[in-house]
Amino acid sequence: MQFIMPSVGKWIAIALSLIVGVGALYLRSRIPQPEKMEEGYKSAKKKRNLLLMAGVLLLWLCSGLFLGSFGLGAREFQVEISPTRMDILGSSVSSTVFMSWIVIAALAVIAILLRIFIIPRFKETPRGLQLVLETAVTAINDLTKEKYGHRNDGLASYFFALAALFIGSAVVELFGFRPPTTDLSMTLSYALVTFVLINVYGIYKKGIKGRLQSFIRPKAIIAPFKLLSDLAVPISLACRLFGNMLGGMVVVELIYFALGAFSVGIPAVLGLYFNAFHPLIQFFIFINLSLTFIGEAVEEIE
Amino acid sequence: MTDIGLIAIGAGLAVLTGAGAGLGMGIATGKAVEAVARQPEANSKINALLLLGLALTESTAIYGFVTALVMIFTMGK
Repeated sequence: MQFIMPSVGKWIAIALSLIVGVGALYLRSRIPQPEKMEEGYKSAKKKRNLLLMAGVLLLWLCSGLFLGSFGLGAREFQVEISPTRMDILGSSVSSTVFMSWIVIAALAVIAILLRIFIIPRFKETPRGLQLVLETAVTAINDLTKEKYGHRNDGLASYFFALAALFIGSAVVELFGFRPPTTDLSMTLSYALVTFVLINVYGIYKKGIKGRLQSFIRPKAIIAPFKLLSDLAVPISLACRLFGNMLGGMVVVELIYFALGAFSVGIPAVLGLYFNAFHPLIQFFIFINLSLTFIGEAVEEIE
Repeated sequence: MTDIGLIAIGAGLAVLTGAGAGLGMGIATGKAVEAVARQPEANSKINALLLLGLALTESTAIYGFVTALVMIFTMGK
């Protein structure tokens, strides 16, 4: 990063856009807003909106020119499919693993604090934080009950913890670090946990014989295909989450790269979709699909 | 033609899976809208099913995308 003094022309452009932008916003505040039924309401509203747009646009231009003229904000586009590695206590650890340790530690601290300070003060009518916690727990309990057939506290608590970890890793991305979910090793490990759960619950519910029999139903000839589709479950789960998260990260990086010094404001709006909404949908789908496969394995067929 | 050019063409072909996924998702959403229009009280159930189906359909596009990324980032070096 180097600091270059901008030329006179650039200074003039910055000053001009700043003055005109502030002027437009000032003019907007001078236009009186008539009552809704009064005459001239529509034209005044139109004028106010136009001035607001012009003011914000010019201020955005000014900030972009200002940052760009000092050589700030320009980024190189670099996305790696595997995260960078770092040395911790003499052993090589990838940065996403380190971030997930931080997330796990933060979640553990939050859980202990909630247990000590919040849960003993629970009241009959939930309010505030208690309401949030009860809603979340009820939602995951209902989802488990719907997919699994009946109540299962162990499964519900595992998926609640998984959801908390995923949301924590999405929060990490908002701070500008590479989220752990963009690492194939993390998504694959949770998909393998799902695979183990599918088989453990299938055997627990039906016995080994019943589990094996489910492969030859309705005809013995489809057994290889059923086996293959069962083996494909963890791979497809892992690749889906990994691909979606990496895709979102690449798109956001591209936006920063394309806008350069002008990346003020716009990435925040787009990031709301790519960093907040899109990951949440994908986490929900991961958990939903895991539960669906487990429910399928324990389903009684007569 | 250079190696990186061939890799770029291959990556472009790999993400063509998006076309099929888009078609499938469009059909599924259209059917879901029809179903809701016919039976508005089953809205929440149809919604959950649609989301699951879309996730499964979308995975084909994601596989193509992952393939393209792997081609670009690992074969070019």
